[in-house]
Amino acid sequence: MTGGLVYATRKFTFSAAHRYWREEWSAEENARVFGALTVTHGHNYVLEVTVRGSADARTGMVMDLAELKRLVGDAVVARFDHADLNRDPVFAQGLVPTTENLVRAIWDLLAPKVGTDRLHRLRLWEDPTFQVEYFGP
Amino acid sequence: MSAMRLTRTYHFSAGHRLESAALSPDDNARVYGQCYRPHGHNYLVEVTVAGTVHPVTGMAADLEALDRAVDRLLLSRVDHHDLSSTVPALAGVVTTGENLARTFWEWLETELPPGQLRRVAVVETANNVFEYEGDGARGTP
Repeated sequence: MTGGLVYATRKFTFSAAHRYWREEWSAEENARVFGALTVTHGHNYVLEVTVRGSADARTGMVMDLAELKRLVGDAVVARFDHADLNRDPVFAQGLVPTTENLVRAIWDLLAPKVGTDRLHRLRLWEDPTFQVEYFGP
Repeated sequence: MSAMRLTRTYHFSAGHRLESAALSPDDNARVYGQCYRPHGHNYLVEVTVAGTVHPVTGMAADLEALDRAVDRLLLSRVDHHDLSSTVPALAGVVTTGENLARTFWEWLETELPPGQLRRVAVVETANNVFEYEGDGARGTP
């Protein structure tokens, strides 16, 4: 069997609170740009982590998914599950915790651990109607 | 540059039947089978746009504007309609998932910011999904 690239995706879930707010803006300006999102609320996020590679000739695996589960669990789920994203160091300085910024932050956390040669795509679902895909910088 | 793909999922319910004016009734029944009979679906439409993250707002697309555009250009035209008879913009279109995906793309593309639209997927049932990404092949995202 010849080894083409295989993409393996594992799902993770975490629940977190956030609000969209920029301190340097007036309340009116925040409300105009962010609408209802200025009020602290929360989501059950679903994170899909896709790694790529050729299946190992001996194990038949692109990556040890138990290792992936441990890496994402330690770096992402443990950090963000039941957390207030606005208080996380990534966002505490004013970066707005949008799904876009959160997926990018998660990429930055995972890329050094998983390796950019293996990490292919992150898909972050904020709710069943909205998701963002990120393929790295 | 932080290019991203953002996907929103929308819902509408509509009736339709598959019938081609170019085919005889017998051939329509043979080609389309049970889909030749009037029936309906709870459709989902997934709309994917691409953008780069704005450094101030943290947003890569204006989702409220997208919602408004999809509502006005798409959902309001088809929700609780018979796609095969009561939607003037679909006159002459055999309302397969393939044709709906391509038609919805055309409806949306003209009014969304240039180059923003990346994919339209019509989820007809949990088992049938039809995706259209436009004429030009694009890399990710």
